[in-house]
Amino acid sequence: MRPDASKKIATVTPKGGPNVVIIGAVIAALVVLGVVVAIVIGNNSKPSSSASGKVAPVGVVGGTGGGILADPAAKSNAPTVDVYADFQCPVCGQFEKAFGPTLTALAKAGDIKYVVHMMTFLDTNLGNDSSKRATNAAACAADAGKFGEYHSAVFAAQPVKEGEGYTDAQLTQFATTAGITGPALTTWQKCTTSGQHDQYAADVADTSGKAGITSTPTVKINGKDVKLSTPEALVAEIKAAKS
Amino acid sequence: MGLKSQWESGRLPDLMGLLARLVLGVVLIWAGAVKVTNPAQSALAVRAFKVLPYDVAGYVGYGLPVLEILLGLLVVTGLFTRQSAALGGLLMLAFIFGISWAWAHGYSIDCGCFGGGGTIAASQTQYPWEILRDTGITACAAWLVVRPRTPYSLDHRLFG
Repeated sequence: MRPDASKKIATVTPKGGPNVVIIGAVIAALVVLGVVVAIVIGNNSKPSSSASGKVAPVGVVGGTGGGILADPAAKSNAPTVDVYADFQCPVCGQFEKAFGPTLTALAKAGDIKYVVHMMTFLDTNLGNDSSKRATNAAACAADAGKFGEYHSAVFAAQPVKEGEGYTDAQLTQFATTAGITGPALTTWQKCTTSGQHDQYAADVADTSGKAGITSTPTVKINGKDVKLSTPEALVAEIKAAKS
Repeated sequence: MGLKSQWESGRLPDLMGLLARLVLGVVLIWAGAVKVTNPAQSALAVRAFKVLPYDVAGYVGYGLPVLEILLGLLVVTGLFTRQSAALGGLLMLAFIFGISWAWAHGYSIDCGCFGGGGTIAASQTQYPWEILRDTGITACAAWLVVRPRTPYSLDHRLFG
């Protein structure tokens, strides 16, 4: 057996001093505890996922947290165009201006399945809740069959300065612009005020995030990422995907 | 000659060690403090690297700020200097790996090292600077691992 120096060290070490091992263990335990507590708190702070018994908005495709089909007219052989956007993202506003009318027209003609996924991560970035409120309101508009119109109305009124968000009065104004009137407007208002589709907004954020969408706008044709240039190029890609 | 005798007497290395402790410790505390109040943002920043699976990245995002603060406190006070500096250094290496990963994959992200984070315009990325900065901090950590003995440390106070 090899000679062991520990006995010798023990005799040299002054007695009664603080014990390195005990202090070290206590501190290590405190660090681990601190981190675990932070993870648990962080995890609880995010909205609980689904299973709250709430009904998904009309037009949702692809299961929990899926996008909303902007127009039900799609032909069976039409390619799927998925757009991931955030109502508060300025680039999404520019995208909507440049590509929105083209996509809407294609969807109306039934030439594409135009699926819109509204994400809310800019709420976290900007420290407000406008993306979530606008997404909830748009989902309520989907229940009234006016998702596409509402979606366009929100982007048309996007504040010039990122972070100013949307007021409740604006959200109501968008409903009128989208052509929701009479009893449908009352239903929409109730749905919006009660945050009926807040959970849906959280689900979309979760599902899209898990699918690897970390930036908006992201556009996919039949599940494949598309590099954006011009609406004409996009139309060409869509045509190519169809055949 | 003055520098040489300062080095040999151990005063210069002492001073450098103290400096390394302050730089590493203060950066860790600062980085943790600005993120700890917004765990959701922190999770978002980690997810943007696309290194870890979605859920794991979330946990890392929640836990990291607290870990940074606690490690930073240990380093600044000089308690278990070698071990805390080693962990701090490993953390920095992980950050450098993450930033290089994002850069190599062509993602346009802000590292979110000091709050913020997530996708930004390609023209706004600062990968070389972020890597250089973290390399400098890693050097501080390496110094302390090699020579953990520094003046004004709890290690010195408590354990002689």
